[in-house]
Amino acid sequence: MAFFGFDTTLPRDRDGTGAKGFFENPDPFADIARANALGDDDVIDFEDTYDGLGDQLSDDQDEFNDDTFGGTGADTSVGRDFDFFGKTAQVSDAIGEEQVRFSLQNPNATRVAPQPAQVPVQPAATQTTKRSGYEKYSDPDYIPDLQAKSSVWGVSQKKPEPAAAAPAPSRKMMSLEEVEAQMRFHGHNTATPAAEAFMRSMVEQPQYQPQLQHLQTLPDGFPPVPPEFIQAQMKQGHLPPQIPHPPPGMPELYGGPKHMPPGGPLHMMQNANLPPQNMPPPGPRHAGPPQAQRPQQPQPPQPLPHQQGPLGRVSNNGMPVITNPQQLMHLTEEQRQAYLVEDAKRAKRNHKIFLLSRGNGLMTPQDKNFITRIQLQQLVAAAGNVADSDPEAVLAEDFYYQVYSQIRGAPRQHPHQPLGHFAQTYLLQTGNRLGGHRRGNFQSADNHMQRMQQQVQRAVEAAKAKPKNKQLIIEGSLGKISFSNAKAPKPMLNIKRPDSSEGPKPKKQSDLSLSDRKSILTNLEGVYSALMAMEDMERTMPPPPEEGDAEAIQEHMEWRQKLHSLNQKLWRSLKVMEPIVPNSTTPHPFIAFLSYPKGKKAIPRIFRHIDQEQRVTILTMIVVHLDSLDVVRLAQPVPGEAQPSLGVREAIDLFSLAVMPCLLGYVNEAPFNIIIGLLGLVINQTHVQSVARTKVGLGILTMLLSRAEIVKEAGQASEHDWQQWVEKFNVLFDTLELGLNDIFPGSISSGDDMYVWQFLAAVGIGASPEQQQRLVIAVKDRVMETVGYSKTLPADMGSQRLNNVNLFMRAIGLDVELLG
Amino acid sequence: MLFFSFFKTLTNQTVTIELKNDIRIRGILKSVDQYLNIKLDDIEVLDLAKYPHLSSVKNMFIRGSVVRYVMLPRSEVDVGLLEDATRRAEAANQAGKAR
Repeated sequence: MAFFGFDTTLPRDRDGTGAKGFFENPDPFADIARANALGDDDVIDFEDTYDGLGDQLSDDQDEFNDDTFGGTGADTSVGRDFDFFGKTAQVSDAIGEEQVRFSLQNPNATRVAPQPAQVPVQPAATQTTKRSGYEKYSDPDYIPDLQAKSSVWGVSQKKPEPAAAAPAPSRKMMSLEEVEAQMRFHGHNTATPAAEAFMRSMVEQPQYQPQLQHLQTLPDGFPPVPPEFIQAQMKQGHLPPQIPHPPPGMPELYGGPKHMPPGGPLHMMQNANLPPQNMPPPGPRHAGPPQAQRPQQPQPPQPLPHQQGPLGRVSNNGMPVITNPQQLMHLTEEQRQAYLVEDAKRAKRNHKIFLLSRGNGLMTPQDKNFITRIQLQQLVAAAGNVADSDPEAVLAEDFYYQVYSQIRGAPRQHPHQPLGHFAQTYLLQTGNRLGGHRRGNFQSADNHMQRMQQQVQRAVEAAKAKPKNKQLIIEGSLGKISFSNAKAPKPMLNIKRPDSSEGPKPKKQSDLSLSDRKSILTNLEGVYSALMAMEDMERTMPPPPEEGDAEAIQEHMEWRQKLHSLNQKLWRSLKVMEPIVPNSTTPHPFIAFLSYPKGKKAIPRIFRHIDQEQRVTILTMIVVHLDSLDVVRLAQPVPGEAQPSLGVREAIDLFSLAVMPCLLGYVNEAPFNIIIGLLGLVINQTHVQSVARTKVGLGILTMLLSRAEIVKEAGQASEHDWQQWVEKFNVLFDTLELGLNDIFPGSISSGDDMYVWQFLAAVGIGASPEQQQRLVIAVKDRVMETVGYSKTLPADMGSQRLNNVNLFMRAIGLDVELLG
Repeated sequence: MLFFSFFKTLTNQTVTIELKNDIRIRGILKSVDQYLNIKLDDIEVLDLAKYPHLSSVKNMFIRGSVVRYVMLPRSEVDVGLLEDATRRAEAANQAGKAR
C-alpha cells in the first residue's frame, strides 16, 4: 500500500480492502492528515519518502519538465489561451531570468527546505510529485500557479485546501490572505522564519511587479491574481515598479545560503514538488546572472525542432498572438497544448470557412433569384397548389368545388339552372382578379413580391406546358420510374385502350342511324361540350372596345367570331335542322335529344346562347313534334291508371321546369304571326285531342292562347292577323270541344288540375260568347264537382281548388260565388 | 382531382363511410385530401355491437385506400354541375392524352 513509504491507507481503508492499489486512496489530503496526526517532522518524512530518482535526471532538461509531465494547473485555463499568450508575451523575459535565478537557488533548496514555512507544503508536494514531480513554472507565474497547482489535488478539494491550512499557518501552507495578513503584520520584522521568508519574498517581489501587474490585467485567462495582494506589496514600499528587468545584482540576493528559492513561501507552496534533489547542480548554471541569462535565452531552441512543426503551421493560419516561436517555448506544456489544440481548432474552422467561401461571389443576385424561382416553382408544382397562381387552372382542376361553393355561397334562384349563376360568378371572379392585379401595378412597394409571383406563375405555366413524361426509363435500368405528385398520384393500373377503335366509330354510327341511342347521347355530349366552350368564351369576353381602339375592336371581333363558330357547332350538335321525315318510326333527333333528362336540362343553357331565330326554330320543332315528345306521348292517360308512371311524371316535371320557361320566355316576346303559325302547326301537325290530354301539351296551348290574348289586349294585332287567329282558334275549339272532359287528369280527387283550369281560362278569354257557353256546358259538371269536393277538403286546400276553378270562371265573366 | 373537388364540397356534412372491412361509420366529414383520406368527427359506428372496440372512438382519420363507399346526402350534390365537372375532367383527360 505504501507508496512513498507512507501508509497511505485511511482508517476506513485499512480493514482488508487494501487490495485496490495505489488509486484506492483518492484523498490528496490523507497525507496532510497523517502528517498532522503524527506530528512528525515533515521534512524528514519528505526525505524519507523521496526515492531520489530525481537525482538521476539530467538537470539541463529541467526547463521542459513541465512539457514532459504536464502542469496540471493549466487545466482550468484550457480554452483561454488568448490570455495566456498575452501573459506569456509579457513574462517571457522574466521567465528566462527566473530560470537563471532558479538554477542559482536550487543548491539552497535543500537547506531551505527545513524551514517551517516550507514544511506544510510537503504533503502536497508528495501529491504533486505523483503527478508531475517537477517544478514547472518560473517564479513570475507563481500566483497563477497557486491555484493552478491546487487543482492537482483534485477538483473538489481545491477549495477546502486553504481552509485546512488555516488552523496552523506557520506549519501549513498559507493562503494568499494569510500571506497578506502576515505581511501586514510583520512589516519589516523577521519574527518568524515564515515571516522571514516572506520578507525575502517581498524583497524579491518588486522585481516581478511589472509582470504581476500584467498578470493582473489579464482578464480571465488565468487564475485571478488577488488585487489586494499586489496592493499590499505596493504598500510595503518594496517595489520599484520601474525595474523592468532584474538588476544584475539580484541573483546575489538570492544566492545567499540562508535564502529559499526566489518564489519564497508562496512559490514553495505550489511548487513544493521541487525537491532539492531535483535541482540541477549549481555549477554550470551558476555562472552569474548576466552570463546565465544570455545562454538561457538560446537554450530553449534545443527542443524547438519538435515544437516548431505544429507551431509554424498553426501560426501560418492566422494566429497573430504568437509571433515568435520563442514565446511558445516559454509556455507550459498544458498551455502549449491548449494553445496548439485551440489553434488547430481555429485553423480547422478557418479552413472550413475558406473552403466554403471559395465560391463566394460566383453567383450574382440575379442568379440567386433565378434559383429561388425554380425552387419556388417546384414547390408550387409539387404541392399542387395553384390556387393563387391561375384561376383558370383552378377551375380546370377543381371545377366542381369552385363553382359549387360559389353557387352555394349565394342562394340559387333556379335550382335547375346553375349555368347562369356560375357563368356570372366566373365573370365576377375574373373581374376581381383583374382589379387586384391592376391595383398592384400602381403600388411599387410590393413590386418585387408581385414580380416574383408573376414569375412563379409563368414558370409554373411553362412547367405545365411541357409534355409530361409519366415514366422514365433510364438506360440500363431494369424497370421504369413512375413520377407522381400530389396532383397526379402514381397510377396503379395502366390499362392501354386501343385508340384506333375509338375515333371513327361514333361517326359511322351517327351516319347509320341518327336516332340510335348511342348517337343521341353522343350528340348530347357534343351539345354540352359546345355549351361549356361557349360559357368559357363568355367568361373570357374582352371588355367592350372603345372608340378608336383598333386593337380592342380587333380582339372583340375575333372573340365574336369564335363565339359564332361555337354557336354553329352547338346548333349542329342539336340536330334541330335535320330534315323532318314524315311518318318516320324513329323520332326526330332533336326530339330524341329532348327525351333525355340531360337534353331537357340543356335547353335553358342552350337558350342563353342562341339567337331569336334559333329559338323560334326550336320552339317550332317542339310544337311540330308535340305529340311525339316523350312527355306527351308517354303521358297519355291509360285507362285504369290515375296517373302516368313515376318516370314519366319526373320527365314531365323536368320538362315543365326546364323547357317550358324557356319556351314561354320566347313566346311572350314573339310576334303575333308566329303565334298564329304555331297554332296552325299544332292543329295541322298534331293530334290535338291527345296533346290536350297531357300537361305539357295543354301548357303549350295555354301559352299560345294567352299570348294571343295579350297581343289583342295591347292592340298590337292587325285586323288581318286577328282574323287568321280567330279562324285557327275556332278550329281548335271545335276540335277540343268533344274531348274537353278528358283533359282533366284522372279523378277529381287526384289533385293537380290547375293547369287545366288555366288552359280553360285561356280558352274562355279568347272565346266568343257562344263558345263560352259551349265551354261552360262542357265543363259544368267538373266545376260543380270541384266546388263540392273542395268543401270536403281542409280550408286551405279547398280554397286553393276553388281558386283554380275561379280562374276559369272569371275568364268567362262568372265566379264560383255565384254557384252558391 | 374531380373526386377530391367533389368531396371538398361535402365537408361539414354527415356522410356514412363503408370501409373495405365492412365497418360502416357515420360522421361529419371534416376534411379530405387528394388521396381521399378522410377525417371524420362525431362518429357513430353502425352495427356497433360487432365492433365494440370502436365504441369510444369519437373521431377518426381514414386512409383513402380502405374506403369502399361513401354515402352522401343527396341534397348536397349538384348533379348538373357534377356532370359538367365530369365532362370537363374528361375533356382535360382527352386533351392530356392527345398531347
